Amino acid sequence: MKHALLSVVFGLFLASTATADEMPTFKLLMKGGRILPETLEVPANTRFRLEVKNEGPGAAEFESLELKKELVLAPGVTRSTVFAPMKPGAYKFFDDFHPETGQGRIVAK
Amino acid sequence: MGNAFFVVWRESLEAFLIAGILYAWLQGNDSSGKGKQALFAGLAAGVGLALLLGWALLTVQDELTGNALEAFQTATLLVAAGLITQMVLWMRKHGRQMKARLHADLAAAAEKSGFLGVAVVAALAVAREGAETVIFLYGMAQSGEVGALIGGALAGLAGAAATAWLAAKSLARLNIGLLLRLSSILLLVLASALFVAAIDRLIGAGWLTPMLDPIWDTSLLIDDTTKAGKLLADFSGYRARPALTTLLAWAAYWIVVFVAWRRSGHA
Repeated sequence: MKHALLSVVFGLFLASTATADEMPTFKLLMKGGRILPETLEVPANTRFRLEVKNEGPGAAEFESLELKKELVLAPGVTRSTVFAPMKPGAYKFFDDFHPETGQGRIVAK
Repeated sequence: MGNAFFVVWRESLEAFLIAGILYAWLQGNDSSGKGKQALFAGLAAGVGLALLLGWALLTVQDELTGNALEAFQTATLLVAAGLITQMVLWMRKHGRQMKARLHADLAAAAEKSGFLGVAVVAALAVAREGAETVIFLYGMAQSGEVGALIGGALAGLAGAAATAWLAAKSLARLNIGLLLRLSSILLLVLASALFVAAIDRLIGAGWLTPMLDPIWDTSLLIDDTTKAGKLLADFSGYRARPALTTLLAWAAYWIVVFVAWRRSGHA
């Protein structure tokens, strides 16, 4: 029940941010070597866009060898990238400039 | 500060290693000094390119230009991997020519194109990871971490230079046959890692199908998201969870290299 409610809220959130091509967009914040949120839930088997913002201080590099993505971000920069539909599962990513503190995962459900 | 050291060391090690190996090889094989000139010209051009690419990555935020940059970076990966491989094969042939004391002007012609290759490879090596170093350093300077910038980052640069210098020095100690063989293997492994990175980028951008992804999972054995694992991934092309396409591309690379290697030996 809680989950259903959450997805409705999430769906509304998506609807409000959906672009012309109706691709869901998720946001990720990188801040001082930390990643927020550390676990990002996304729908499985769906193409989506990830918007990564680096609030600094310092540069950050969103990287995932599993997901084959790499985004270098200077402080204050926002970049986005499109992910191909994923099979259900958990996928690790990390801040390559702060590998000790900046670890996160994307969970496709 | 320790982190700044590690990041800068890792990001610049590849460029220094390539430069160091080329330098060691030229030291043993080229007495004219023109090869070294080409090497240094290439390194200087690479620094300029890195600044330019770093600046582009700093200012670009929209997706379209971002995609164009991504495509450009993938292209530099592919070109670097191809050129390094070709140069290793050229070095193998060139070494044999010197042994066979071929006609002087023929060797000179081969040298000219080879040295251009040396310069381009050096420039690409510096430009690729250099751009990321530029952004990392820019971020540190902007957040006012001047102490860490000077301490950690400069130490990282120096550390990478020292690592490469050590590698080059130990290579130069070897006899010429072993030097050629070892430096060739090192360069080919590096080139294969660049090639794997390029294939992964193509898959990530949706330009290549991963087919089966992942085909296996060895992250329990060696996790490529840890510091050491990532280093191994960067320099050897190791992936804990490779896609079938990546694996096939990697295998194809080594088959082609192996065949070309055998052929250049018989020529």
